[in-house]
Amino acid sequence: MNQKVRGASLCSRCDEPAVVFQRDARRHLCAVHFMADLESRVTDTIKTRRMIMEGDRVVVAISGGKDSTALLLLLSRLLPAWQNVQLIAITIDEGIAGYREATVKAAEDLAHRLGIEYHCIAFPDLFGDSLDVLLKGRETLACSICGILRRKALVVAAQRAGATKLATGHNLDDEAQSVFMNALRGDLPRLIRNSGADSKGRFIPRIKPLSFISEKEIAAYLVLKNAWNELPECPYTRYALRREVRSILSDFEYRHPGTMLHLMESKEKIERSCAGPLFSAPLRTCRTCGDPSSGDLCQVCLLLRSLGR
Amino acid sequence: MKLILSDHDERIIEHCPATVEQILLEAGINPLDVLVSRNGNLISEDTVVGDEDEIRVIRIAHGG
Ligand SMILES: [Zn+2]
Ligand SMILES: [Zn+2]
Repeated sequence: MNQKVRGASLCSRCDEPAVVFQRDARRHLCAVHFMADLESRVTDTIKTRRMIMEGDRVVVAISGGKDSTALLLLLSRLLPAWQNVQLIAITIDEGIAGYREATVKAAEDLAHRLGIEYHCIAFPDLFGDSLDVLLKGRETLACSICGILRRKALVVAAQRAGATKLATGHNLDDEAQSVFMNALRGDLPRLIRNSGADSKGRFIPRIKPLSFISEKEIAAYLVLKNAWNELPECPYTRYALRREVRSILSDFEYRHPGTMLHLMESKEKIERSCAGPLFSAPLRTCRTCGDPSSGDLCQVCLLLRSLGR
Repeated sequence: MKLILSDHDERIIEHCPATVEQILLEAGINPLDVLVSRNGNLISEDTVVGDEDEIRVIRIAHGG
């Protein structure tokens, strides 16, 4: 018997051996049908949630890691069918030694290979120093500090590029982890603030076209597209609560399929019923930088001040 | 059957034929955290592998 087929189930849509088994749909798919299915689900997410419209300039944040690599590959493949939508790829170089050099290179190479306009923006240019330097002695807070500064850096980069949308590669696992973490912290407002709902004309809307695709599916897509790269992992993740949550949720998803999707659905329900009241308070502007802010100083200026900047 | 782990560690698994899923669970790996290939081709977790097979585990590390 054919080496490829031995012991394998066949695709539900053709006679090729399956490369994935989708547990929720109880469906086997071969390489070709799996990639087509994933692409049509992403298209669906973008269309039904009106993430990208005619005339949009979409800035895609690419880290060189697998999720954003998959996002750029997918968008560059799907968007030519849309009416005059432009893609621009941007990397934030936080300055993390032993990790960022290789990933920035991968991001840049990918954008060039796809013929997409590319920019890289570095922490020292925006905040005076690299993340490594800013973090000295506060390594355990790395992910929350980096998260705040990255978000700001992305907005600046997107504004400079004239973006009308800012796309990130967050996948279903990431989103489910965020919902779970915010619930654990009792921080519901943050859950909603992180979403694209806070546009109101003052922010560039954030879109997450992969938010219904699991991390495993993204990895499989990259392997099948010959775009799987073994790149270094961010050295700071070992301090992250997310790492624990990831493992817990992954076990839970395995034993109770659909867990992550249910967390996402909860988030969307909360968004629908709370977005109004939460955002009815008038936005203020930061005393130092003039950015929209909920208090006297914005989160970034507060943070930089606490870091002695 | 030979199981090649993501850290290049190799193990010989005796109780074949078995599904990829059974083998991963036996090795303490959550099937959702990895992809598995045989001769360079991805295979689904319910694929039955035999003694003559060599399967490779690709860990889906977190990397943004
Ligand atoms: Zn097929
Ligand atoms: Zn400010």
